[in-house]
Formats: sequence, C-alpha cells, structure tokens
Amino acid sequence: MVPGQLIFISGGVRSGKSTYAESLVQQANGNRNVYIASGLAHDQEMAERIGRHRKDRAQDGWCTIEQPRQLSEALPFIRENDAVLWDCVTTWLANELYEGFEQGNLCANKPGCMEQKWRELKNTIDSMREKALYTVIVSNELLDEPLVDRTYQQWLGTIHQWLASRADQAIEMENGLAIRRK
Amino acid sequence: MHIVFGGAFNGKRQYVKEHMEVESIVWLEGELPEPGDDAVIAGLEQWIRKQLAQQRSEQEILSAISAAAKSAGECIWILTDISRGIVPIDPLEREWRDVTGRCYQYLFGKAQRITRIWYGIPQTLKGDGRDEHLHENRR
Repeated sequence: MVPGQLIFISGGVRSGKSTYAESLVQQANGNRNVYIASGLAHDQEMAERIGRHRKDRAQDGWCTIEQPRQLSEALPFIRENDAVLWDCVTTWLANELYEGFEQGNLCANKPGCMEQKWRELKNTIDSMREKALYTVIVSNELLDEPLVDRTYQQWLGTIHQWLASRADQAIEMENGLAIRRK
Repeated sequence: MHIVFGGAFNGKRQYVKEHMEVESIVWLEGELPEPGDDAVIAGLEQWIRKQLAQQRSEQEILSAISAAAKSAGECIWILTDISRGIVPIDPLEREWRDVTGRCYQYLFGKAQRITRIWYGIPQTLKGDGRDEHLHENRR
C-alpha cells in the first residue's frame, strides 16, 4: 500500500503553524479529521484552555485524542483514510524525556530510555502513514537559543531531521507565511 | 569563504561532509585556523565562549577572528545560531550570545557564500546571484 502523505511543519510560537496545519488537514478530504493533542494541563488555566480547544474542534467536526506520551497508543484509533494532525512534537518530547521527574527517575538520565521511545515513535509514524490518508506533524523552533537543555535540543534536532527527510513536504512557518523547504 | 549556518542539531556538519569537498582539508572544532590553512572551522561559538571565560575582551576576540579569516586559505565556517530565546540571566551567557552575534555579523559580511541548514535542508542566503531580495545594508 502507498503510504499516506506526511507533512512536517515547524515554526516559532504564534507563527500560525497550528492554524495552517488545521487548514491542510481540513482540505485533505479524509473520512475523519483526527487531532492528536500532546499537551498536558499543569494548572487550571491550561486545563480550561485544552477543554475549550477540544470543544471548538468538535464543533468543526474534529475528533480529538489526548496523547501526552506513547503516541503508539493513539494508533488503534486511527482508521483508514483519516486525515491526522499531531500537535506537537516539542510537548511530546518534554513529556517523554522528563517522565519520572516526580519520582526522581528521569527518562533523560536512564541509559537507553529515550532511545527506546524514539524507535517506537519512528515505527508509530510509519504505521500511521499506512492507515491515514494524510498526516500533519507540527513542531516548534527551539534550536537557536542557548538556554534550552542540550539533551532536549539534541533529541529535538534528531526528530526534526528525521521528519524533514521522511516528509513529502517540510514547511517553515514565519508569522503566518508557510515557507516550503521541501 | 563559505558559511554554513543554522540552529543546533540541524545537520550542519553532516551537510558539509556529504556535500562539500572536505577530505583533504583540516577539520577544526573550537579552534581558529593557522595562516594559509584550508580548513573547516566548526564550534566557533565554543571558542568564543572559552575566550570570554578567560577574560579576553570582545575587541581581542573579534580581531583574532578577523585576522584568521583574512590569513587562512579556503575555509568553511560552520556557525551555530544561538541568537534567539529569552535573555540569559547569567552575565557570561549574555555576553557570549552578544559577542557571538557580532562575530557572526562580521563573518557574514565577509563570506562569498552563506548556506543556511534547516533540518538538513539547505537554503542559500548569500552567493546565488539573486541578491536583490537582500536589504541594501548588505556588505
């Protein structure tokens, strides 16, 4: 079977990347528009915001899967000819890399931990394309600032490079302008 | 002189190894080239950081870089963008970012070609002959 289209979009905060990604999915004419959200609510305001977004999308005909980590768990819910939007890589990576923070047992510090999650992510994305008609993956630009944790940056760079090479289209968002790099 | 520029972990070194003729030239990490050397200069931002930690002034650092750029042979400079994000609280971090930015401005002015790498994908910023889209402050 021909794998579905994969689109990688990255840009700064408030660059319009999510809005653009949503419009791409809506134009893809999938049977369903599926939104995989990786944000975790850390406080009441965030919980309300997530709930509000979820409700807004439901009114626009989206179904939402909340998947803060372990993207593979979302796979069984993806059906043939779905159009899928995953938002976003940076929150997922933070959730995975810093898993175990409360227990003082950070994944980032465990040998092989993130490597295992990374292998699983690659397989999940490849499997998703076997089912979905169209998959858009959104991420954020965090690699040109010196204050971000190096381990986090290294993983983010690895993931972004893989996505850019794997994708049918790679797009850099700049204040609402979608600049196609591939 | 050719600059390969982009954020950290964007595949700049790999791009240089795969797409440019570098087998016969010196590969330097965090060091400046000797006069006459054809070299790849990577990790310049780390070299700058080390100089600042040793109390060298911005003027001395910039002079050393410009002397190296003028006297070296054909060089490829791999420059990591550290210009974004919030202003660092630590004074050394702050100075590091400022001085690195000003050194990059100097090198960008001097280079014949500048290639930006975005997750392995190249984009020519300078040297493709289509310079009209650059602002007139171009050096």
